[in-house]
Amino acid sequence: MNIVSSNSALAIDVRGVSKVYPTPSGDFPALQGVDLTVRAGEFVAVVGRSGSGKTTLLNLLAGIDRPTSGEVWVAGTAVQTLGESRLAAWRGRSVGLVFQFFQLLPTLTVAENVMLPMDFCGVWGVRERRPAALALLEQVGIVEQADKLPAALSGGQQQRAAIARALATDPPVVLADEPTGNLDSATADAILELFSGLASAGKAVAMVTHERDLSGRAHRTVTLADGRVASDVAASL
Amino acid sequence: MLRDFWEARGRVGLMVTAIAVALVGVGALLVARAVITREAAAAYTSTNPAAATLDVDGGVDATLLAQVRTRPGVIDAAARQTIATRALVNGQWRRMLLFVVAPDDPMSVARFTVQSGTWPTSDDALLLERSSGTVLNAVPGGTVQIAGPNGPVTAITVAGLAYDPALAPATQERTGYGYLTPSAAQRLGFSPMADELKIVTARDPSSVDSVASDVAAWLTTTGHTVHQVQAPPYQHPHQNQTNAITGLFLAFALAALLLAAVLVAATLGGMLSAQTRQIGIMKSVGATTGQLLRMYLSATVVIAAASTAVSIGPAVLAGYGLVGLVAGLLNIDITSLALPWWVFAVLVAAGIGIPVLVALGPILRAARVSVRTALDDHGLDAATGARPIDQWLARLRGSRTLMLTLRNLTRRLGRLALTVTLLAAGGGLFTASLNASSAWQVWVDNGLARRTYDAEIQLSAPAPAGAVLEAVRGTRGVTSAEMVTTLAATPADASGQIEVQRTYPDGGHGRFSLVGLPADTGMLHLEVLQGRWLLPGDSDGVVLNQGAATRLGTPRIGDTVHLAVAGRVGTWKVLGFVAEVGGPATAYTVPEALAPYVGVGRLTGIRVAVDKEDPGAAIARVEASVAGTGAIVASTTPTSELRTAIDQHVVIFIYTLTALAVLMGIVGLLGLASSMSITVVERRGEYGIMQAIGATPGTVRRLILAEGVLSGFLGAIAGVLIGLPLSIVVGDFLGRISFGLPLPFEVSVGGVLLWLGLVVAGAVAATLTAAYRAGRLTVRETLAYQ
Repeated sequence: MNIVSSNSALAIDVRGVSKVYPTPSGDFPALQGVDLTVRAGEFVAVVGRSGSGKTTLLNLLAGIDRPTSGEVWVAGTAVQTLGESRLAAWRGRSVGLVFQFFQLLPTLTVAENVMLPMDFCGVWGVRERRPAALALLEQVGIVEQADKLPAALSGGQQQRAAIARALATDPPVVLADEPTGNLDSATADAILELFSGLASAGKAVAMVTHERDLSGRAHRTVTLADGRVASDVAASL
Repeated sequence: MLRDFWEARGRVGLMVTAIAVALVGVGALLVARAVITREAAAAYTSTNPAAATLDVDGGVDATLLAQVRTRPGVIDAAARQTIATRALVNGQWRRMLLFVVAPDDPMSVARFTVQSGTWPTSDDALLLERSSGTVLNAVPGGTVQIAGPNGPVTAITVAGLAYDPALAPATQERTGYGYLTPSAAQRLGFSPMADELKIVTARDPSSVDSVASDVAAWLTTTGHTVHQVQAPPYQHPHQNQTNAITGLFLAFALAALLLAAVLVAATLGGMLSAQTRQIGIMKSVGATTGQLLRMYLSATVVIAAASTAVSIGPAVLAGYGLVGLVAGLLNIDITSLALPWWVFAVLVAAGIGIPVLVALGPILRAARVSVRTALDDHGLDAATGARPIDQWLARLRGSRTLMLTLRNLTRRLGRLALTVTLLAAGGGLFTASLNASSAWQVWVDNGLARRTYDAEIQLSAPAPAGAVLEAVRGTRGVTSAEMVTTLAATPADASGQIEVQRTYPDGGHGRFSLVGLPADTGMLHLEVLQGRWLLPGDSDGVVLNQGAATRLGTPRIGDTVHLAVAGRVGTWKVLGFVAEVGGPATAYTVPEALAPYVGVGRLTGIRVAVDKEDPGAAIARVEASVAGTGAIVASTTPTSELRTAIDQHVVIFIYTLTALAVLMGIVGLLGLASSMSITVVERRGEYGIMQAIGATPGTVRRLILAEGVLSGFLGAIAGVLIGLPLSIVVGDFLGRISFGLPLPFEVSVGGVLLWLGLVVAGAVAATLTAAYRAGRLTVRETLAYQ
């Protein structure tokens, strides 16, 4: 594993963030005063029990949700200041998202799924997009499945396709929400290997997972409990 | 369930609206049909119309009338006179019928109602039938310029208005109707002679014919000559057309209701499929199929009942509006707008029954689903991608957003089929109505183009052809002129027995004419359907138009037919059949063949073509020229008047058909709105994903709009295609009841483009709400839905 220099650029900077959800039984604090930084080339695992605030944190990083207080800086942008439309465009270029249930669009082929963010964000020339998508699919090992519909792929293959899609606009930050939660252990290992490789290539990778044993793949493991950072432990290398 | 409905209130609203809109159509037509059928019959009967009218040579005096009243089968009788003449209106001649009634006539037969003024009128006045006002441009207190038998025009005062629902409206016939006493008729120059014997008999047609024939035979034995016997159907002249057309429209409205019911079924199906897991949970805690069935059926009943309740008021109002229009068309007063109970019963039964029956399928499917299947349900994505159509579409290449739109469109093929069907039905009817309207225009244009004369001038008595034609051809502004001899004829059988005529008192509806024209006429070029047109020397042959062919029992070429003119039965060989727009049933022959009736070298009318600069003035000069020969002009009919009369007969039906088409289109667009609303709910997760990978809310909105517009466009195209055969059916129906021949097939390009434009605009409007809602969803909301 590569050691991440403390001089690397700060890709994620969460400063004193709280998130409160109003509920019929009163306000529910999902996050309370969370601070977190992730540098480029760093692979950080965010772990914790159900309800600990992992997904809320990821949603704040992706601009899917807004903090009640505090600041969320991702790829040099104060995410909470953007409106929905600018947020979508920023997200497309700056953040690659990977979900537990893959979330490929079922009517588009694998290659088309990968090209879609390029279309939305206008990256690459129109004629360059397919070769770029095929290169990404090659990188994740499923280029031969490029022209198939997602329904024809296994779970692992679909997740690889989702990772390729997350990289389509070459974002500096990759966020993954339980990306191995729906996969068998061998496939999950392969996916984690991919994330590790992305970090080595300079991307900041933050992955929410309920698995505590990441076999030393992540540089750091941040544990959340009741909406607070309970521990932030660097991997022993 | 109520909460689910509240959550989906937009779609519930769409379902209620769709059914309500269709029900308003059904209800309006039911109301109109029920009221008009009853009121038209009541209005016609209120005149106690003569069952039969016998034309008796020499007239009927009081003694003879008293004797007729004692004949077997005769319930009542009256002696009247009808004078066909013309009136001068703003320099133009209009056809005028004068009904002469003796002051002491008890008015028990063929009576009219005096609406203003008094009856009998003075010798210098008449009553006008109320629908004649616009045709004659006359009001009570004013005057009408009426031509006498010898040509001079006399002004007669309009003493008041009469209401006679036994007549077709003057506006449609382009004819003025007046009621006056014999003294007033004499003052206009006519010889009063009550030569029409009107008898009232039992109303069944066989009794009418039998009694009328017996009376005619008895009159003959007593030395009176009966020229013809007229026994019109015992109903308003336009009643049959009205019944047939409102019946057709009712069928269309019911079809709209059926489509709306299908929309409800599909929307409910969509809502239920989204609740499959919920159904599984309910079943897992003990709900039975029967309980779920009752629950969802109750919901459907509530929706249908709400729609029915909402629609009844507007349906009745719309129906009353239609009643007013049709009453105007028939010239009848509506004495009561009371609705029979069955109108409401049918409306409620159709409004609740049809949607519930149609929704039964999806509800049964949803209620019967097993617990395991329900809990395993993963919604939309489960099937997508595995079907052959998905594989096929995956091979298409193009813009991702276009591909996405195209492939999303086929994800719910059943729903797409429903949307397309709804729009296709609306579009089919819409384009068919405009195509039929276009066909009508083309048919009438073409038919009238085959008449290359500008006016037909009828004389009050036969006149020398040479002198009249020479005078007319020498008139300034006349480009050509041709003789025409028109005789009222009656179909007869081989034994010489005169057929009872079905002509109404207006002399137009049900009339049969025998017309003599030069074989090489340059003014009438009718389309020959079978056989051939006249040749010089065809003095024993006739060419029949479609109306005449029907009246003569559809003979074949070469068959012999018998026609009675002025009591003399002639035998004619059928030479051909022609299609004719406007005009009565007519048998055409050469002028020489009519010499026995009008004299050798004589004519009863002239057709003239005049300069286009001032045709009115030219026609007036022609009349003066005719008068200069000593002949007397009885009537002048400009060809343009014929056009107006023809259009007036059908315009309301075209409008109603188009209104129904719009109604169907609305149901179709509501279907599209419902479909897109369900689509947005089902795919909100995908929209979230798209926004998560960089799509802006605007992009999502555009994708949904594109899908809606594409669905609408497919439906619109299907509608245009369905409209083609439907146009033939509607054109056939309208043409046959109007002219006795189907209308030609015509495509209204403007109508097609209008429909396509309306649907695309409507699809944008119908999809906007769903698209706006999807665009407003935050990524978190959409992902939380997963």
